[in-house]
Amino acid sequence: MLMEVKSQIKATHLSIKYALQRELLNKFTFISNILFMIINNGCFIVQWIVLYSLKQNIGGYSFRQILLLWGLAAMTYGISRFFFKEAFNLSDIINSGKLDNYLIQPKNVLISCITSSVEISALGDILYGLIMLILYGLSVKNVILFLTCGILGSIVLTSISIIFSSLSFWFGRTEMVANTVDSLMTNFATYPEGIFKGIIKIMFYTCLPLGITTYIPVKLISNFSLPDLIFIIFGTFIFTSLAFIIFYFGLKRYSSTNLMNARI
Amino acid sequence: MKKYLYIFKSELMSNLQYIFDISIGFISYCILIYIFLNLWQYVYSDPSEIINGYTMKQMIWYVIITEILWMSLSGRKYNRKICNDVKTGNIAYNIIKPYNYVEYSLFSHLGITTLRFILVTILGIVLGFIFLGSFPELTVLSIIGVLISCVLATIINTLIITSLGLISFYIEDTSPIYWVYSKLILVLGTIFPIEYFPKIIQPIIKYSPIYAVSSAPAKLFVDFSLITFIETIIIQIVYFLACLGITHFIYKKGVKKLNVNGG
Repeated sequence: MLMEVKSQIKATHLSIKYALQRELLNKFTFISNILFMIINNGCFIVQWIVLYSLKQNIGGYSFRQILLLWGLAAMTYGISRFFFKEAFNLSDIINSGKLDNYLIQPKNVLISCITSSVEISALGDILYGLIMLILYGLSVKNVILFLTCGILGSIVLTSISIIFSSLSFWFGRTEMVANTVDSLMTNFATYPEGIFKGIIKIMFYTCLPLGITTYIPVKLISNFSLPDLIFIIFGTFIFTSLAFIIFYFGLKRYSSTNLMNARI
Repeated sequence: MKKYLYIFKSELMSNLQYIFDISIGFISYCILIYIFLNLWQYVYSDPSEIINGYTMKQMIWYVIITEILWMSLSGRKYNRKICNDVKTGNIAYNIIKPYNYVEYSLFSHLGITTLRFILVTILGIVLGFIFLGSFPELTVLSIIGVLISCVLATIINTLIITSLGLISFYIEDTSPIYWVYSKLILVLGTIFPIEYFPKIIQPIIKYSPIYAVSSAPAKLFVDFSLITFIETIIIQIVYFLACLGITHFIYKKGVKKLNVNGG
């Protein structure tokens, strides 16, 4: 079991390494993608400067907490898109029969598939997340909690995408559902929880777990509480397990399209 | 001109077959309007309060109109198309045809944009009415004025995105430049009217393309006046001519660098 995990980690590491080397072939594009993504995210600070000139507190968040919220949203988004890029194209991979490539490998199908390529601009998101943490306040405690929450949040984001993309095993073209959930997660993540009312708040802790990816982590970093940390770890475990169970349950229904393609 | 109108018409007609698919893409529009509705309801603790000359309802209508302009444009896809045409050498097939690539791209994109504009406008007006229960004060003149301004804004925006895409003649991927452009439009033109910014930067935004492509039509919709309309149209015509010239300039310079491998 341990050897299997070790071997899977090694294979994942090599897959990401080679994908990164492919992207590094054009250094100018590589650097410009990262730099412009940081500038792109940075533009939103203007929005919050204007809003905080109208009100001192928005949705229970101070301006520093908004920076932290943005940092966590960018970090979770960046890690998930960089390491697990193909989880966000999984629906298309299932429908077009491209899973064949991973089924013939003696490794975990889901992990091999979602780590087969990287999104370079996501490195810009990760760096932006770290810049926001510096602006919020750098301390050993904040760095450890920020990185832990960023990694766990990215696993939840990826799991949600896998769960909704796996619906393709049963219902065919369900990219629209997966894309909509992804869009909801990304758009809501950068606004304070307190501005929303009603049923949407229940969704933040169930089918759109922004509570686990951003809202509770902001609370946790601002004011540490062990139950909150346990809740995040437990939530991540539940969503990850669900993603694996649903994907492998659906995989039994998968049939190849005999599509001929080359992976270069 | 007749051939370009034909391109516009054929693009519009072919996309009529995909109305359902196009409409599904507007889910993110609904999400954004819902977020801004909640945000402004929070900021305006009293709905009758006036902040920087705008009531809460005016602010939400402002965002509905600016988002209609942005969503109907589908700029990211268009920028990628121009960029790919240059990168893959596809542009070579267009060069040998009896039309200009810039005008062809412009009219072809306006075809799909027109359909998206009609659909998202209906959606935006329905959402606005459901959430707010009333429309801003409108007259026949103001509706015509807003429509003219929206058309000019869309043409200018399409030309700007065409020029950004044509930068692919010089650098491989222009998407990052487009991201920054889109965020500047979003932050300085879509979410807030210019009155929300410090007085010192208001004239800069007012005479920038951001105002011409985003803020101006929305401002006319929520608070129409003949003077603002004339001023807006003058700014938009100047930008239209400037952007048309710049796009042709980049194309003419860039196409000389084109090197396509046959095969």
